[in-house]
Formats: sequence, C-alpha cells, structure tokens
Amino acid sequence: MKTFEEKWTAWLDDELTGDELAEFEASLPDKAAAAAEKRDAHKLGAFLKEQLQGRAMGNEEFFHHQLRERIERDARAGVAEGKADSPRAWWPIGRLVWVGATSLAIFCVCTFFVMRERGPAEQSQYLSQILTARVDPVVSPNATISMFESKKDRVTVLWVDGLQSLPSEYATK
Amino acid sequence: MQRRSRLLLGLSFALIMGSALPARASQVVWSGLVIANNVAQPEAIPPELNRFEGTLKELFGYNQFRVIGQSRKTLVTGSEDWLASSKYFSLHVDSKGGTDAGYLLNLKLFQEKNLLLETEAKLSKASPLVIKGPLVGDGQLLLLLVVQ
Repeated sequence: MKTFEEKWTAWLDDELTGDELAEFEASLPDKAAAAAEKRDAHKLGAFLKEQLQGRAMGNEEFFHHQLRERIERDARAGVAEGKADSPRAWWPIGRLVWVGATSLAIFCVCTFFVMRERGPAEQSQYLSQILTARVDPVVSPNATISMFESKKDRVTVLWVDGLQSLPSEYATK
Repeated sequence: MQRRSRLLLGLSFALIMGSALPARASQVVWSGLVIANNVAQPEAIPPELNRFEGTLKELFGYNQFRVIGQSRKTLVTGSEDWLASSKYFSLHVDSKGGTDAGYLLNLKLFQEKNLLLETEAKLSKASPLVIKGPLVGDGQLLLLLVVQ
C-alpha cells in the first residue's frame, strides 16, 4: 500500500495510470494548485537537466597531451633526484682521500715546527741550569764559582767559595 | 658540501693546534734565604726543603736549615720580579719569561746595599736551584728556588 507521498511523487512523474490516477486526483483537496505545483516541478527538472549536463571539452587532445607530458617530466625528475641523493649522502672516496691527505700534511707541518721549537730546550727539561754567574771582584777578590748537578734529587747547585765571611748577627730574620 | 668540507678542515686544524700548543698554567716559585748550621738540637726542616733534605745535608754537611727570609710568588705571565729578604740580605729575582722547561731568571744577592752575587739561571719545574752564599757566623747562607 503506497503512502500519499509515494503516490504524490509518482503523480508528479506521470507514473500513475488508470484507477490509481483517478483515485489519487479525487483525493487532492485543490486540484488546480496541485497541477500548478506539478508544472513547476517539471520546469525545475528540465532546467536542472539542462544545467547539470557535462560540458563537452573543445581541446581534449591537447589537454591529454599536456597532462602526459607533465607526468613524464615529474617522473624523470623523481628518478634524477633519487640518483643524486643516494651517492651524495656521504662524501665520495676521492674527497675523503683529499681531506685525509690535507689533514695529515697540516699535522706534519705543525709537528715539525713544535719539535723544532722544543729541541734546544730538551736539555733543561728536567734539570735547572746556571747560565752565568759573577761576584764583585772588589768586594770578594778571592771568590771562585763552580756549578754541578746532584742527580739524586735533581738539584742544581751554584757553589761560590771565597765570599767575605760575616758575623752571626747576619743570620737573623 | 663545500661548506661542510671547510668546517671539517677547520675543525681538524683546530684540534691539531690545540694538541700542539701547550697550555701554560700559573705556577708558584718559592724563594728562600736559609741559614744552614750544626746544632745539638736541630729544628725541623722547613716543608719547602723536605723533598731534598738528604741532598742538602750531604752536600753542605749541616744538620739544621732555618729560613730567615722567603717569598712565594705566583707566576702568571712568567715575566715577573720579586724579592725575598731577611734583615741583612735580600734576593732579587727577575723572571725573564717561562717556557715548557721552566723559567729564565736573573738573580741578585744583596748584603744590605752591596751586590754580592749575580747569576742567570734556568729554573726547571722539576729541579730545585741551590746557591751557596757567604759564611755567616758558624753557618752558611744558602739561597734556594723551588717551583711548587
């Protein structure tokens, strides 16, 4: 058993026939208003059918050609990028060798200069040295100077003999 | 890439230079005027002379070492001067510069205003310097310099 809405939709679409049509039209309270509504619905349907129809493409071949070109270009760029990325992620062997050789050369140069600078000082690295010593010959005419190193505690001694002796009061703080 | 290679080169150069150039820290030089003599009851040896007490006794033949004047100088640049003095003696020390091996010093011993002795010495960090001065009473004046 159809509802009123179903019968109304079928009537608008001209799908009711025979007794069913007569019975439905008889049940309408205002047949003129219903007929006007049916005309409006038909008009709206025709308008929508006309407007919603897909527009035909005038330059379909050209559009397809452009699209294919673009896809191929993108694909080529993607492959090239992939090739470029993988080997350049780290330095090539050649560059690593070059950098290693340069670093070694810098190290050798620095070592050479450092060793050359340290060379003469090597002797005095562990022991103190007396380079020069002198006493006033007028004050201490008989003074003699000698120097030696005691290896035991690595003590360097400047031994001065013949300086004028002084009284014990000179030992005060 | 170019930028990264420059950065790496710079870093390796800095590391090499950092290991090659020594870092010089400030050090303390103790300078002392010491009277050495023989007594029945010797005083304890000053702590600065502890590590070569045996050598001092052996070299000079005294059993007591008494400090009559001293100075403890912290060397920062290595080119500093200072004075260690007692009532009658003074030791003027002029450091002419420091190297890895130690310090180049000019030493002058004065008895009041008289210059008794002048010497140039390289004072090593691992080796004390002892100078035998004049006889004083029954003892001996010694000058000592130690890098601490």
